[in-house]
Amino acid sequence: MGRAALLRYVPGAVVALFFAALPLLATGSDARYVLKVFTFVGVNALVVLGLALLFGYAGQVSLGHAAFFGLGAYTSAYLTTRLELPWIIGLLAAVLVTAIGGMLLALPSLRLKGHYLAMATLGFGEIMHVAFVEASGITGGPDGFSRIPLAALGGFVFESPQAKYWLVWGAVAVGFIIAGNIVSGRPGRSMLALHGSEQGAVASGVDITGLKVRVFTASAVYAGVAGCLYAHVVGFISPSSFTLHNSVIFVAMAVLGGGRSLAGPVAAALILTLAGFADAVFPGLSRETLAVIQDWQADLYGLIIISVMLLAPAGFAGLYRAGLRSVGVKL
Amino acid sequence: MGTAELLQFAIAGLKNGSIYALVALGFTIVYASTGVINFAQGEFVMLGGMLSWWSYSMFDVPLVVAGLMGVALTAVVGIVFELVAIRPRKDGNPLALIIITVGGSLLLSSLARHAFGPLEKSLPAFTPGPSFRVLGAAIDRQTLWIFALTAIAVVLLSLLYTRTRVGKAMRACSIDRSAARLVGVDPRSMVTLSFALAAALGALAGLATTPLTQTAFNIGPSFGIKGFAAAILGGLGNPFAAVIGGLTLGLLESMSIAFISSTFKDAISLLVLLLVLFVRPQGMFGRAVREKV
Repeated sequence: MGRAALLRYVPGAVVALFFAALPLLATGSDARYVLKVFTFVGVNALVVLGLALLFGYAGQVSLGHAAFFGLGAYTSAYLTTRLELPWIIGLLAAVLVTAIGGMLLALPSLRLKGHYLAMATLGFGEIMHVAFVEASGITGGPDGFSRIPLAALGGFVFESPQAKYWLVWGAVAVGFIIAGNIVSGRPGRSMLALHGSEQGAVASGVDITGLKVRVFTASAVYAGVAGCLYAHVVGFISPSSFTLHNSVIFVAMAVLGGGRSLAGPVAAALILTLAGFADAVFPGLSRETLAVIQDWQADLYGLIIISVMLLAPAGFAGLYRAGLRSVGVKL
Repeated sequence: MGTAELLQFAIAGLKNGSIYALVALGFTIVYASTGVINFAQGEFVMLGGMLSWWSYSMFDVPLVVAGLMGVALTAVVGIVFELVAIRPRKDGNPLALIIITVGGSLLLSSLARHAFGPLEKSLPAFTPGPSFRVLGAAIDRQTLWIFALTAIAVVLLSLLYTRTRVGKAMRACSIDRSAARLVGVDPRSMVTLSFALAAALGALAGLATTPLTQTAFNIGPSFGIKGFAAAILGGLGNPFAAVIGGLTLGLLESMSIAFISSTFKDAISLLVLLLVLFVRPQGMFGRAVREKV
C-alpha cells in the first residue's frame, strides 16, 4: 500500500475503531455521563452529515433543519406513544414524513436561486415551530412530549447507555457509508459540477432541479432519522429543541466541517457539541469554567461561522487537505 | 363585525405594516447593492430599541436625543459589520455572504444579551397622552408617531435616491457595478453605505415600536422574517414595492386575527412568504428574471 493510500484509509479506520470502542474504554464513575454526551454528539453528527451533502456538495444552505429534526422526532414519538406502534414503524414513518416534507419544500424553491431556499427553509422552520407549540393535541404543546418508549428491535430494548450509544453511532456509520456512496458516484460528480457552475452542469446534461431536490430530500431524511433516534434515546422532546437557533448551530457545524467532505462535518459536530459539555472530556474542569463556556457558546458559534467563511472557507476538510499537501501527499 | 372594530384592526395592521415596511426597505437596499439577503437585518431592529434604551437610561438625555443616538449607533454597527465581515470576502460569493449574515445575526444577538442582559427593555411613549378617537376607533399617539416616522423615512430615502449624488451613485451601482466603477463610483463604499442605511432604517423601526412592544436581545429573527416576507411580497430590490409589501402584510395579519384567530398570527406572514416564494417569487411589482447560460 502506498503512502497516499495509507494516509487516506488509516486515520479513518482508527477513528471508526475509537468510536466503536468508546463504551468499552469509558469505565470511570462518570462513564454514563460521558456516553450520554457522545450519544448526543452522534445525533448531531447525523443531522450535519445530511447538511454536509446539501452545503458541501449541492452548494445550498438550509436554515430549517431543526424543523426536520423535530418532524422526525414528533412523528415517531406520536406513533409509538399514542398509537403504541413498534419503534421500527415510528422510524420508517419519520423517514417517510421528512422525505415528503423535504420534497414538497424543495420542489418549488429549488427552481429559484440560492437565497430563496435559505429563506423558504427559514420560513418552514418557523412554521413548524409554531405548529409544535400550538398543535398541543398532537405535540403536547410547549411542555413537550414525555414518556416516549425506548428504541427496541425485536425483543431487544436499547436501554443501557452503551446500547443507546451503539444504536446512534451505528446509524451514523450507516449514514456515513450511504452519503459516501452518494458523493463518490454519479450524483456526487453531478453535484460538484453544479457547485462549480450551474449553467455548465446544465449544458453537460445534469438535471439540476431534480438533483437538488433529491439531495435536499436526502438531507431532510438524515435530520428526520436523527430526530427519531433523539426522541427514543432521551425519552422526552419539547419545541425548544427545534428552533431557528438549533438550525443555525447545525449550519455552523457544516460550515466549520468544510465543503466536499463528510469526515470534516462529523469532526465539527463533535467539537462544537462537546464545547457545551466540555466536562465530559476534561473531567477536572471547574463548574465555573463550564458555565462561562456555555454562556458564550452562541457568540462562539456566530464568530466561527463568520471567521470560517472569511479565513478558511474550506473548513476542517480544507485545512486537513492543506496539511497533507504540505507533507507532499495529494488526495 | 362593526365598522369601528374593523377600522381598529386596520389601524393595528397598518401600524405593524409600517414597521415591516421599514425593515423591508433595509432588505431591499442591501439586496440592491450586494445581491444577497442580509439575514442580520432583524438584529438592527433589536439594536435600535436596545441602544436607544441604553442611551436613555445611561446618559439621562431627552428621549429624542437617546433615539437619535440609538439609530446612529446602530448605523455604526452596520458599517462595522460590513467592513469586518462582508467586505473581506472579496469574491462576493452569494452563498458565503448569506452564511456570514446568518452568523452575524447570531453573534449580534448574543453580544446584545451579554451587553444588556436577557430581560425586556422598554422606552416611554414619545408623547404621552390619551388616544385619539376616529369613527369609534382609538388611535394611540405612538401609532401616529410610527406612521409619521415611516413616512418621513420613505420621503427622505426617495429624495436621497433621486436628488443627491451619492444616492444616484448607489442606484448606478445596483444597476451595473462595473459601469458605475467606470464613471468613478466606488462600489465598495456604496455597499458600506447601504449597510449603514439598512441598519438605520431597522433601528428606526425598533425605536418606534419599543414603547409599545418592548424589546429584547432575541426579537431580531421574527422582525427579520416579517420584513423579508414584506420585501418579497412587494418584489425584492424596489423600495416602493417594499413599503406596499409591508403595509399589505400588516393588513393581512390583522385581518386574519379579526376573521380567523390570533393563535396562528405569526404563521400568516410565514405562509405569505412561502406562497409568494412558490407562486410569484418576483413579488407583486417585480418582473421575472431568467438566468441565461
